Amino acid sequence: MLELILLALALPLVTGAATMAVRPPVALKSVNIFGSLLTGAVLLWIVGKVAFGGKFVSDWLYVDALSALLLLVVALLSMSATLFSASYMERELNEGRIKLGALQRYYLLLQLFIFTMICVLVVENLGLMWVGVEATTLASTLLVAFYFNRSALEAAWKYVMVCNVGILFALLGTILLYYTQVSAGGTGGEATALSWTALRAISGHLDPMMVKLAFVFILIGYGTKIGLAPMHTWLPDAHSQAPSPISALLSGALLSCAMYVLIRNLIVVQGALGAGFTHYALLIFGLFSVIVAIPFVLIQHDIKRLLAYSSVEHMGIVAFGLGIGTPLALYGALYHILNHAVAKSALFYLAGTISQQYGTKQMMRIRGLFAAMPGIGAMFLIAVLAILGTPPLNIFMSKFIIIMAAFQSGMPLLGGALLLLLAGVFAGMMYYCTRMVFGVAPAHFVRTAVGIPAMTAIALSVSWIIITGLYLPFWLRQILEQASLIVAGRG
Amino acid sequence: MQFLAILLLLSAFLLTRTTRLKSAVHILVAQSVMVAVACASGGLETETTHMLVAAFLTVVIKAGLIPYALFRIVALLEHEREVNPILGPNASSMAAAAAIVLTYATIDRTLPGVLSRDAIATSLALVFIGLLLIITRRQAIMQIVGLITMENGLYLLGLSTTRGLPLIIELGIFFDVLVAVSVLVILTYRIKSSFRSTDTSILKELKG
Repeated sequence: MLELILLALALPLVTGAATMAVRPPVALKSVNIFGSLLTGAVLLWIVGKVAFGGKFVSDWLYVDALSALLLLVVALLSMSATLFSASYMERELNEGRIKLGALQRYYLLLQLFIFTMICVLVVENLGLMWVGVEATTLASTLLVAFYFNRSALEAAWKYVMVCNVGILFALLGTILLYYTQVSAGGTGGEATALSWTALRAISGHLDPMMVKLAFVFILIGYGTKIGLAPMHTWLPDAHSQAPSPISALLSGALLSCAMYVLIRNLIVVQGALGAGFTHYALLIFGLFSVIVAIPFVLIQHDIKRLLAYSSVEHMGIVAFGLGIGTPLALYGALYHILNHAVAKSALFYLAGTISQQYGTKQMMRIRGLFAAMPGIGAMFLIAVLAILGTPPLNIFMSKFIIIMAAFQSGMPLLGGALLLLLAGVFAGMMYYCTRMVFGVAPAHFVRTAVGIPAMTAIALSVSWIIITGLYLPFWLRQILEQASLIVAGRG
Repeated sequence: MQFLAILLLLSAFLLTRTTRLKSAVHILVAQSVMVAVACASGGLETETTHMLVAAFLTVVIKAGLIPYALFRIVALLEHEREVNPILGPNASSMAAAAAIVLTYATIDRTLPGVLSRDAIATSLALVFIGLLLIITRRQAIMQIVGLITMENGLYLLGLSTTRGLPLIIELGIFFDVLVAVSVLVILTYRIKSSFRSTDTSILKELKG
């Protein structure tokens, strides 16, 4: 197992180094597809071993079902994003939007970005998780700024500034948590300092007042990175200005990784405080994120900004599920992380393909998708229906579980409010979606074939959306069940 | 420690008053050196080598590499200065003073009689003043200086409450800070060449 984890960490770096060594676009493409598929395969192997063999523990590395779930997200998305990049960036290059040298920079940063996300998920220590989350911001900033035009620079500046300040608050919270650990006499040397397992073991002895203070800073800090309102201001800009494969990774994988770190901290905090305070905080932030996202979804013109606000909404739903806190709700929240990641990344790939074909991201100027590109149009419709929670697609299942848990645990008002808000989102997004999908394509529309790697990535993601709505394989159910036990503090 | 705390607070005050980018970086160097001295003296007192290593790294990274990168870019920006900040020098100094009073009051209330009272109060004040600079200053360089001030404050907080985080985590943080500043400097270069200015208030195209 240790070898596998080290291999998963080394592969993106090796691929990055190989990217530096080659220059022709075709070679760059093949090296990166090969590298990412290999990384993904190793990650899936780790996930399988955890599902069937249990967790892996060592001094600094730690992989249990919770990390395995997120490793699954990163594995799926890094494979599909690299496949999609191959076609997408090739077209950007051919149409002269980027230069040859920029392509190399793109792939190098992509591999570094994947590497930092894997780092966050396999380390055992809350301090190192912080270091990893900060590193993900830094690796992705230059990808957000990739086109180096005015709006990309603006988005990147806001992204790095807001997330850095946020993450420094998380560091403040982490230092306070360490202080409580030291005060409780829980450090037997360097190895246990801020160690997650050590902290969880003594969480009952931590000073509750100090832990509460630490949690406030941790929630605000990682909440910024997760995109919970009102700290979400960087998110629509960064998601809309980054190249589409990167938007998919930011929204599907990066937000989920930040959520993962928050959950790890949450488990320790709940051990010290009990559930009340953290649950209220998460419910408030979660519901508020959904409320804030809705008007922006309704009045949006830019398709990628629309998807970005939908990410704020979905992270809000996950936080809401964590805030309900019953085993069922936790299961739903974790399941929702996975579902959202796959569906949202598919949507960003589709949005990228569509905006390349139409030459615009303005939804008002996109018409007749189904007539112009039947395959893409149909998959776009399915993915939008999925993200809105239409049965029997995967997100319906997780949203249903979360809302059912809300009603079951005596919060019918909150559950009802969430249902109502989701209905609003449904109406808004379906309005734009039907306008884009149906109707007649513009007269000047020239259809260009979508590259095979991109089609593969999109088709596989959409099939995943359909299949996991109807049927969850045994190993995945196993991971989800174990992971929700871990979040409940009983794993 | 009291003497260092006063000097550190003085540096933060000066940061709220300066409008010239170059002087801001000079003050930042002085501030980082003071943090390193605090760290080294703590290390000598408790005879822990890892604090000495951390002090050395602070000097190399925060008083060496980072200011070097900042000075290089500031030399290019000779006509740039902080004009028309959201809070002027007088108002920000007042806010900084209020932050210091507030942090002392908070500490006396939550941790009465704690030994490292001055150090904790100073570090929290540095965090707040750094945040103040980021929020109220328009120049990119000033915001970067604010960010490092915040980081210095947090570093000092870790030092004074728990004698510093474990070395491996601290190494990670140092590395992150270094990369963060490199990324920010690259962005600042690009903003300068695209917008002909590093006044970040012109970054307002993306809305809604």
